Amino acid sequence: MSEFTCSISPTEGAPEGFSFDNVHRNAQIQGQLLSNNSNNNATRSASGNSSSASVLPLATKTGTTIVGVVYKDGVVLGADTRSTNDTTVADKNCEKIHYIAPNIYCCGAGTAADTEKTTELISSQMELLRMNTGGGQSRVVTACTLLKRMLFRYQGYVSAALVLGGVDHHGPHLYQIYPHGSTGKLPYTTMGSGSLAAMAVFEADFRDDMTEDEAVKLVQRAILAGIFNDLGSGSNVDTCVIRSDGSVRMGRNDITPNEVGPLRESVRRSDVLNMRPGTTAVLGETFVRAKGLGVTLADVTVSEMET
Amino acid sequence: SKLHPLTGRCVLGSAGCKTDVDQLRSVLDIKMKVYAHNHRKPMATPSVAQMLGNTLYYKRFFPYYSFNVLAGIDSEGKGAVYSYDAIGSFERTPFSASGSGQSFLIPLMDNVISHKNRLDERRDLPAEEVVEIVKDAFLTAGERDIYTGDAVDIMVITKDGIDKQTFQLKAD
Repeated sequence: MSEFTCSISPTEGAPEGFSFDNVHRNAQIQGQLLSNNSNNNATRSASGNSSSASVLPLATKTGTTIVGVVYKDGVVLGADTRSTNDTTVADKNCEKIHYIAPNIYCCGAGTAADTEKTTELISSQMELLRMNTGGGQSRVVTACTLLKRMLFRYQGYVSAALVLGGVDHHGPHLYQIYPHGSTGKLPYTTMGSGSLAAMAVFEADFRDDMTEDEAVKLVQRAILAGIFNDLGSGSNVDTCVIRSDGSVRMGRNDITPNEVGPLRESVRRSDVLNMRPGTTAVLGETFVRAKGLGVTLADVTVSEMET
Repeated sequence: SKLHPLTGRCVLGSAGCKTDVDQLRSVLDIKMKVYAHNHRKPMATPSVAQMLGNTLYYKRFFPYYSFNVLAGIDSEGKGAVYSYDAIGSFERTPFSASGSGQSFLIPLMDNVISHKNRLDERRDLPAEEVVEIVKDAFLTAGERDIYTGDAVDIMVITKDGIDKQTFQLKAD
């Protein structure tokens, strides 16, 4: 082994990967909630709505419409910008197109934390690999393999459905990657809850060897189909063009068809909605001085615990 | 439409399972026709309120999956709003909201309509101002609830009749 391989992690002994410390506790809480539920159901239940406090907090999902298309000189990726917590919109303008390498980007659908952290991890691994192998350009298939190997290892528990696209010296490539680790290499693909609406647009209008302009317009129309017809997708269209010459155009909020500003302007806003200071009761005030940015030395004596 | 006029001064709004809502309206329409036939006058809003409650409880053990709000003008010419659950428990209230977006609307209306948790002076709100508040509230619910959107039907009920208007919301 040469000095260029890093088989020993510099942070050896530091925690790596997922922490399973709370598995036992969560199972206990789930069990308690279930027995509480059966107790509550035995008593009177007049309300038609089920209490949402009876389940563990749901992970934020990205609902989502994500798409990718290969065109003559590269790939175009597209995504909507809505993230949901069950049926509530958590983020109206989140970023679903993630950076993997200068020539590779990845759209993510599924659990927001999973897509974010998975793509960050693989991006980091790719950068280390570039450093360890002579500083060349990353290949898209490498990112695909790293992602699928990780997702398969977690047997689908990492809920990340990805559209990976990029250009390397073999040309433009587009992959779809499922949470359980299966992959597909395709000229065009859609994923997420809005994938059916977007795919309908692709199946009607996709052609091989489109120009960049045609490809971008097609991607935009596909995402818009998802935004307006799928409830899990909404707000704005993000696009990302990765060209064969290595240049990238990140179109963050490329199209914003859902600005609420004009709608709000059309309402003559009542004065009761403008709450001046003094509207809300102040019960008390305390002032806590901010501590300075220094280091305080504490004299601590440590004594062994008697068992 | 999610709003259904039962008389010229009384409107029923319902959330829940559409087929049960449609059936409930059908049943109520028939009962109101029979009443008007027998009493030679249209049903007064408090009576409609009671009848809706009874109709829902009649199916206590196989309920209409319908969460209703009844609004109209009472016999004294004042506005009346009644809130219901699926099996007919009802109460006259200053305001009501039902459906997937209710969690976004109710706290806002508690503060603005009922003037809860505010120290500034309460003032009477004219109809036009309340309509604008409702539009603003629905814009907010439409932002955060995926099921709320497209458009809002607004009906203003006075002793002189029902004024209908439609307000466009975001379609995403």
